[in-house]
Amino acid sequence: MQIVFEQVLTGLSIGSILLLAALGLSIIYGTIGVINLAHGEFIMLGAYAAWALKTYVGVSLLPGLVLIFLGVGLFGWLVERILLRRLYQQPLDTILATWGIGVVLQQVIRLTAGGDLRYVELPPSMAGSVSILGVETSAYRIFIFVVAALLFLISWFIIYRTTFGLKLRAVVQDRGVASSFGINADRVYSATFAYGTGLAGLAGAIISPLKSVSPEMGTGYVVDAFMVVVLGGVQSLFGTVISAFSLGEVTGVIAFLQNDTIAKAIVLILIISVIRFRPQGLFVAKVRA
Amino acid sequence: MLEIDNLSAFYGNSRALQNVTLEVADAGFLSVLGRNGVGKTALLRAIVGLMDRTEGSIRLDGEEIAATPTHDRVRHGIGYVPQGRGILPQFTVRENLKLGTFARRDPGHAGVLEDKVFDLFPVLKELLNRRGGNLSGGQQQQLAIARAMLTDPKIVLLDEPTEGIQPNIVEQIEDVIMRLNDEHGITVILVEQDVNFARRASRSFVIIEKGHVAASGPIDTLTDDLVHRHMAV
Repeated sequence: MQIVFEQVLTGLSIGSILLLAALGLSIIYGTIGVINLAHGEFIMLGAYAAWALKTYVGVSLLPGLVLIFLGVGLFGWLVERILLRRLYQQPLDTILATWGIGVVLQQVIRLTAGGDLRYVELPPSMAGSVSILGVETSAYRIFIFVVAALLFLISWFIIYRTTFGLKLRAVVQDRGVASSFGINADRVYSATFAYGTGLAGLAGAIISPLKSVSPEMGTGYVVDAFMVVVLGGVQSLFGTVISAFSLGEVTGVIAFLQNDTIAKAIVLILIISVIRFRPQGLFVAKVRA
Repeated sequence: MLEIDNLSAFYGNSRALQNVTLEVADAGFLSVLGRNGVGKTALLRAIVGLMDRTEGSIRLDGEEIAATPTHDRVRHGIGYVPQGRGILPQFTVRENLKLGTFARRDPGHAGVLEDKVFDLFPVLKELLNRRGGNLSGGQQQQLAIARAMLTDPKIVLLDEPTEGIQPNIVEQIEDVIMRLNDEHGITVILVEQDVNFARRASRSFVIIEKGHVAASGPIDTLTDDLVHRHMAV
């Protein structure tokens, strides 16, 4: 029984990291439709921002989170304004362009911050562990779970309960109709892209104490994030959550029985099989068009 | 007053309208007639600013709006009922109506407008929580007109509002369009295939052929001969 519960907690922990990494991507891909291959590098920027704030400014991780969200979000806003906006008519070119941005970011970080691994300290208040029903769990992993859940709720609220969200969903369904009712589609898209990018930065910063920070770290996350989003169904925020935690649990169990590498391979095979028979992902909105 | 001067409009590189000049007075009612594919829809889209490119001038109450982006342009008081109705399928009726309020010039008298809309289309009140995509064609068309009304427009552009709709609803929609013009003093530009309705409702007409204005004038100068020449299939 104890072992089962431990496994559930491990899965939740993996799942919440996956959700953090995928949330921004899910919002950008599900609304603007841009396949953002630089998503991993935006996560990496967040992690480096956490490291740089601590190293050069002396701001530690938790108080720095808001700054990191705003900073990386602003960067995303610029990328959308300057580059992506011109490419919406050519989806293939956006893939190439975002991939290019990713490569550039990796090299810029390598040249400025160096290629070695960097480490971000755990916030001292969360370095300990907490006992839940007799299972010792790291306090920081619980923090990640709470933050991931909160960010999901905030994003859901913005998209489904605010006027901005209504405008965004209108533009997604029919850009022409939305703008003929006074909605500035360009501005809505910029803000959405900036928000999604800011979330990626936040994810990177929050994950950074658990993983080593390197210029290439984004590559792994972008793959994981895409697996989560595609499995969950592209336009479903809810699907992203279910998919992140299911993948987390499955990965956790297989890693426990075998090891991480096998777990990764089996999960990938599972996803491919699901997509083969359900290309739209697990969750889709059903409405007559 | 809407004045269009020497307007050309393009889908990509192909020209859909060529040197169109026309004007509609305040509280006027213009019917845009012509066969399929001659540029009637393009004319409305050009007024709203949804064409890929336009040349020439569009003035609304003396203000040049041809270069203004769509979302700012409609705030001058343009309500648009597009071809195919443009109802957002995933939105509820309530959300579709809410969309209409975003382009409103003066957010003040929101409540009055809503009462007016439900007065014109009582059926919408019962459908508020239904998805737009699940409504019938007639219900969608009523919703589309109601939504345009909620922008509190000076001028309403209607693109074949009775196309594919059952006869008793057609009558109701025609009645509403005439009331918008008569009682509310809203300028109407109507793209229409039904000459009889155009004759009954409008004060002036323009016939378009191959992107040109082929004929125009007060509605009583729309002779059967003109109709045969430019509209018979």
